[in-house]
Amino acid sequence: MSMDFSEFKRRLGAEPRSRDPDLVAARDASPENRALAEEAERFETRLEDAVSVAVPGDLVDTIRAIPKRAGPRRTLWPVALAASFLVAVGAAGVAWQMNRGWDSVEDYVADHYRHDGDRLVAESLQARRGDVHALLAEYGLDATPEMADVVSLVKRCPTPGGTGVHMVLHTESGPLTVIYMPDTAVTDHATMAFDDKAVVLVQLERGSAAIIGQARSPVETYYAIVHDGIVALAGRS
Amino acid sequence: MTTEDGRTATFDELARTYGADLFRYAVWLCGNDALAKDLVQETYLRAWKALGSLKDPKAAKSWLITILRREYARTFERKVPHFTDVDTVIVPDDAELEPDDRAELRLLRDGIRRLAPKYRDPLLLQVVMGCSCQEIADELGISKSAVMTQLFRAREQLKQKLQKDGVTGNVHGLF
Repeated sequence: MSMDFSEFKRRLGAEPRSRDPDLVAARDASPENRALAEEAERFETRLEDAVSVAVPGDLVDTIRAIPKRAGPRRTLWPVALAASFLVAVGAAGVAWQMNRGWDSVEDYVADHYRHDGDRLVAESLQARRGDVHALLAEYGLDATPEMADVVSLVKRCPTPGGTGVHMVLHTESGPLTVIYMPDTAVTDHATMAFDDKAVVLVQLERGSAAIIGQARSPVETYYAIVHDGIVALAGRS
Repeated sequence: MTTEDGRTATFDELARTYGADLFRYAVWLCGNDALAKDLVQETYLRAWKALGSLKDPKAAKSWLITILRREYARTFERKVPHFTDVDTVIVPDDAELEPDDRAELRLLRDGIRRLAPKYRDPLLLQVVMGCSCQEIADELGISKSAVMTQLFRAREQLKQKLQKDGVTGNVHGLF
């Protein structure tokens, strides 16, 4: 049974590139249908152009490197990891002014680090990645030479207020993770812990940061590096 | 070839075949290319760990999309990233376009971003990932008929937006 114009229009609007025999036959059923099909084809081309996104040149190679980074399969690790998820948050009173997603800054820091913190530390050991000056500049900030020298990996990351900056610093005591949160206020110098990690929070002139390291690493001694190392860009207040 | 070599070869194939499309889809989900790259890497990390559960290679695309969408929901379950001006976060490959065409694409991108999720989700799965209506229905857990209706309405809304904003260009015949 042939398709009426209304049904043809509906099918064409739903799947304009379909090769369904009924739809193909209906395209040539009348000049009106043919014109509609040609216009739909043009619209679809524009739609495909509109959703087109430039893909990073290193994307596929980065994905292909995942098995090496992931290491051998260890089937029992999730169980062990779950058992270790006894969060010991000994946090001081944290001023949480951006309570729009996570329940607290501790919640955010732990959740964020568990998501990809260890993976990024591992990646940072392989090669330097990212431009700390360029990324901080997007927030009107810069890194002092002392700070920039020890940053091995820098990338954008989700924060309670939108996006921020995730950095891995290579220090004499091992790698440290610093998460810069542009729209979040914290209690300066507050400490907390989760899993096997220790955290010190830093209130900056603009935004705040969390320094995350191994539980027995001297994360607090790096307070000054971050507090003094992330500065407002010259001419930006 | 060892089992591990075969597993790596399968993973390589998945990376080459679907990596770029999954990144494009992730950009439209997150509205941010850096977060999208992380999301895709996390998706493939999970895929690598669960590769043994992929029994039918023909189902690989749907399998990866499901992992990515779950990972996106898990990562942003409590905080959806702010999708800023679409042209500042999506880096289009449109350097060669005429100004009018570029303006039309900007309007279309903005229109896609503003579509309600129930229209945007199936549209992106179809246009970016090349999914069939049945694949979209399976992914979203709705009927194929509902998917077709949503796809039709999504396109109608985009056309209306172009018309409202005075861009009829190549698509005038549809109005």
